Amino acid sequence: MLRSAKLRLVVGLAALCALASWPLVMSSPYDLRLFTLAGVFAILAIGYQFIFGYVGELSLSQGAFFGFSAYVTGILAAKAGLDFAETFLASIVACVLLAVLISIPVLRLASHYFALATLGVGQVLLLLAIDWQSLTGGAIGLSGVPLPKLFGVQIGRGWPLLLFVWSFVLFAAIVAHQTKRGLYGLACHVVRQNAVAARALAIDPDAIRFAMFLLSAAIAGVAGALHAHTIRIVSPEGLDFKVMIACLTMAVIGGRTHVWGAVAGALLVVHLPEWLRGFEQSYVIITSSVLILILILAPEGLAGFVDRILPVATPERTSTVAASSRPSNLPAGEGVLMPSETPILAIRHLTKTFGGVHALNNVSFSLMRGSITAVIGPNGSGKTTLVNCMTGIYRADAGEIVLGGNEITSMSSDEIAARGVGRTFQNLRLVEDMSVLDNVAVARFRSEEASLGKAMLTGRRDSRLERARSHALHVLRQFGLDKIADARCGSLPHGIKRLVEIARAICLDPVVLLLDEPAAGLNESEQAELAGHLEGLAARGLTLLVIEHNMEFLKSLATHMVCLDYGELIASGRPSAIYQDERVVEAYIGRRHAAELGA
Amino acid sequence: MRLVGRTVFAAALLLSWSASAEETSLTVPIIVPITGLLALEGTSQLNGANLAIAHAPPGLKIKAQTVDSGTAAEGGANALERAVGDKNVDFAVAPLFGTQVLAMLPVALENKMPILAPTGTGPVTEQGNPYMFRLYPHDAISKAAHIRYVVDELKLKRAAILYNTTGYGQSGFKYMSDYLSKLGGEVVFSEGVDLTAKEISATLAKLKAAKPDVILIQMHSASIAMVIKQLAAGGVQIPVVGNTTIAMPATAALLQPSDLKGVCAESAWWLEKGANPMTDRFLDDYTSKFGAMPDAYAIQQYDGLMMALTAVKSGARSAEDVRRYMSTSEYQGVAMSYKSDGKGNLAHSVVIVCYDGSSLTPKLVKRYDDVVAY
Amino acid sequence: MTQLLLNTLSLGAAYSLLAIGFVLVLNATGAVNLAHGSFVVVGGFLAASLGAMLKLPGAIVLPVVLSGMMLIGGLLSLAAYYPLRNRPAVSVFISTISMGAILETATLLVFGPSPRVGPPILSGGSLRVGDAVLNVQSLSTIVLAIALVALQYVIFSRTVLGKRLRAVAEDREMATALGVNVNVMILITFGISAALAGAAGLIFANTFYITPGDGEAYMIKTYVAATMGGWGSLRGAVAGAFLVAAFEVLVPSLPVILPWAVGALPSFGALFSPTASTIWLYLAFLVVLFFRPQGLFGEAVQQRA
Repeated sequence: MLRSAKLRLVVGLAALCALASWPLVMSSPYDLRLFTLAGVFAILAIGYQFIFGYVGELSLSQGAFFGFSAYVTGILAAKAGLDFAETFLASIVACVLLAVLISIPVLRLASHYFALATLGVGQVLLLLAIDWQSLTGGAIGLSGVPLPKLFGVQIGRGWPLLLFVWSFVLFAAIVAHQTKRGLYGLACHVVRQNAVAARALAIDPDAIRFAMFLLSAAIAGVAGALHAHTIRIVSPEGLDFKVMIACLTMAVIGGRTHVWGAVAGALLVVHLPEWLRGFEQSYVIITSSVLILILILAPEGLAGFVDRILPVATPERTSTVAASSRPSNLPAGEGVLMPSETPILAIRHLTKTFGGVHALNNVSFSLMRGSITAVIGPNGSGKTTLVNCMTGIYRADAGEIVLGGNEITSMSSDEIAARGVGRTFQNLRLVEDMSVLDNVAVARFRSEEASLGKAMLTGRRDSRLERARSHALHVLRQFGLDKIADARCGSLPHGIKRLVEIARAICLDPVVLLLDEPAAGLNESEQAELAGHLEGLAARGLTLLVIEHNMEFLKSLATHMVCLDYGELIASGRPSAIYQDERVVEAYIGRRHAAELGA
Repeated sequence: MRLVGRTVFAAALLLSWSASAEETSLTVPIIVPITGLLALEGTSQLNGANLAIAHAPPGLKIKAQTVDSGTAAEGGANALERAVGDKNVDFAVAPLFGTQVLAMLPVALENKMPILAPTGTGPVTEQGNPYMFRLYPHDAISKAAHIRYVVDELKLKRAAILYNTTGYGQSGFKYMSDYLSKLGGEVVFSEGVDLTAKEISATLAKLKAAKPDVILIQMHSASIAMVIKQLAAGGVQIPVVGNTTIAMPATAALLQPSDLKGVCAESAWWLEKGANPMTDRFLDDYTSKFGAMPDAYAIQQYDGLMMALTAVKSGARSAEDVRRYMSTSEYQGVAMSYKSDGKGNLAHSVVIVCYDGSSLTPKLVKRYDDVVAY
Repeated sequence: MTQLLLNTLSLGAAYSLLAIGFVLVLNATGAVNLAHGSFVVVGGFLAASLGAMLKLPGAIVLPVVLSGMMLIGGLLSLAAYYPLRNRPAVSVFISTISMGAILETATLLVFGPSPRVGPPILSGGSLRVGDAVLNVQSLSTIVLAIALVALQYVIFSRTVLGKRLRAVAEDREMATALGVNVNVMILITFGISAALAGAAGLIFANTFYITPGDGEAYMIKTYVAATMGGWGSLRGAVAGAFLVAAFEVLVPSLPVILPWAVGALPSFGALFSPTASTIWLYLAFLVVLFFRPQGLFGEAVQQRA
């Protein structure tokens, strides 16, 4: 691992040197021009990674923002004669405003519809650019875009323009790095892989997607403005679908989430056809074949390829963080399980219908502080629907849910989570390609008040991330998971993943924790261990709701039990009473017996 | 006869090759769109340029360098920037695609490199750039002749105008509608059609409803052929006067002679076998080399490149020399004589050709020399 | 008016062939094949050159075009899909775009840049029915499209092969468990999809001519049609295809169809220029998605997850 880290450093430095010496070695005006253009496209691709890479949305409007910004620059600079500072700002602002306008109808759409809707925006802009001749110069374009002039200094062609453009590449790269490195970046990762899980961690995926979309647009605005100044003309070709395709290609070939991957992708996509120009038309065939080959050989892009050969070494963060936080070694709380009589969460007359079928029908019960309430019932009795209604994934058709004194019935998932309702999922929703520690730490997003603005202003030390990790490690240690904190979640056995998911929910500091079939897939010793943990949590005052089939598991654990059947609450009381209840036995156990007999 | 001519030509070439003790070596970058939607016109341009190089005056050692300018606006400018790095380059052939030429202009100016482009489209010679040479008649000229023919000869004044929403189409539409109203005519219907649009029956239905007495067109090859075909299929009898692409052999090949009956076109060129040996040599060699008749882009490019090569032959040793020659000399090409008007517009002749319905080759009906813009 | 309606129907019918092929691949692989537009180009050039060589109508050339396109579709899936089948869907996005560029450039190199005209399906000319003149090509386009869609339907619903193809589209893992060779089925699906697009190419090559650069425009129209109708729905793809056709023919014809509106609103003509109509198409798409985020015929998904 350590050797790989050193090698990475060496390779990274070598790549940087190569990048810096590229225009020094290949320094004809032509080479400088291409390198400048590659810089422009690198900015575009880095910007595209915000929406396409970090939150994983296939947006096809990046090219539209690029061309739109070029037009704003072109019109303001060539026609109105404004200065670079003015045109540049105006171009970026115009792109962001356009993005806001687009995102209202478009951002909520599911992926393919989102892709096409964003493509449509680009097509409409293209048609307008061609048709609105008085403003845009029509199909032939608008020539006479001046070189940028900043504080009275004209940026000349060749080296000055190259350095000017590449300083913006650096700027875009810094913005991207700042976005990615901290809690905000982790939240983006969760949103990309599992938006439902993000909501359960009080992260609003819509807000993050919106921010990333705007940031993408803003950086496309930077690229578009610089493109207009570099090629000195704006034309409908800048809005063509081909630009979008080139941008997408750069991001995929380079690597979706690596900043330097975008730079490498841009350098390659700009230069490859130029290197092959000697082949007349056939260069298209060669270029395309090379792209396909790269896709096959380096599926995660060039950046992913490098990661595969030289894996990212995990720094010794565990020990440093661990040293800063010694969790108090409280006893597990055996024998102090004393639920109060204060209802912390009350469900009243909850009803939810799917296509005329009552998944929940007039269900009412309460959770007492510090209690462990079990919800039982045969398959399809509405247990998971209940949890989904309580956590805002489904909106109840009637009835109310009250947390403390506040009604939360119509709140969004992330709002409910923020108010202290944590949950786990029947089908685990962990981020597989993230470490255990970060999976848990990201639950601190809301508590640490992480935001994009704060991410930008983070200095060398990211104290928010450190606090979140330290908190996460503390929780992991309670569950005896601290030793695997650095492992990727995807590599863990099922039982451990269940515990990690519970740890993640605990890291949210919830008032109530809802567990959806926590014992499913666990063996008996794992079940016993889990029960111990849950009792410990309840003993410290956490209120638990457990959905389970497994009666053995619940027998000693639950302090209270409710039984659902066909969406109706048929019994509620102490477990011993429920086990004796005729209706429960008939509806649940009896039916299961019958089923077992039948099988 | 053709064979003899070619043998003689080849022998002459061979002789001149060995005779010239001192050869001037020259690299000619041919920057043309040979992929994408303008590949047809770009390939004609390339063919014309290649033939000019084959026909170059003796004593020149020429290396042609074909570069695809593709579809991006900066495609031509990138290629020009690369070309000027070669010290043997004294001028470059530029694309017919107006947008790309506009993007090339600053590069040409900064590197003092003359560029020759067979584009008729609007503003390329209006930038005050002394290195720009336009081989095709400016739309202001060709459309002046176009409209004069319609108004003066055909005596028709209620026009419908169809054009592609490309730089070429929009520029043609602008000049046609301006001139028509200056000559007392009226545009009763006009519509821009996207180059990639296929289904145009809606446009034609609206056109018919407007009851024009002449249809004017400024479109690219496939679009214009579609218009002519559908008009013929619909039995529309309104006279059509279109742009040069109707006269392109590639366009005519898409149609039946009967579809084209009565269709006229403005064009920059009219070549007839037997007019003079230079024309014959051009026509023979072109058809034998490329297996097709030349079109306007090929001819104008051939003439323009020949003019530049003549400049080199007559002693131009630098890009600046070529620019001086191109902007001051007169050159008699196969299609017309070329002389700059001071802005780099070299071509000033326009012809009107019409199809008679019996063949896919149009006939000359009217020639306008030294046309001036209104 | 009758002719405009007929043109809409025949254009919609031809687009349906494209959209159905697109959705078949989509369902079988979960991936978008952006080389679909290039299939039209290759099919169109195949038809045009065969038609010019053999001097035969399109209906007779069609089997050759279909089989040639099946081969090309299969080859494309081997090169651009198969090696990337376990990779993120965008990889296939890029690889098929690249394959499309390769196909179109190869067409350009083989056939040259000139537009070509394909043979009519039966014959050119027109029929006179009452006082309406109906274009034979438009009529035969509709008939041919219906025949091909019916053939596709019969293959998919009545044959063992079709059952396997559908099994792969519905649940790949289940199909594998049942012993279906998924890779072969996907290869065949690509072949069928390419054949349908090739048939559309044959139709378009006569009605509209064909040039090597035409792929992108057909691709975008197919994509719009398939998405508007509902992702993965065949019925939706057909509905989307007719909608796109309507926006191409009927919407820009509104000034002719509703002459009184032109009188009432002077700018009515400009509102329904071809350019404006394309803009209306995308706006309509947004409106459809606003009310039905799952497309016209798509199945409602609970929430984006």
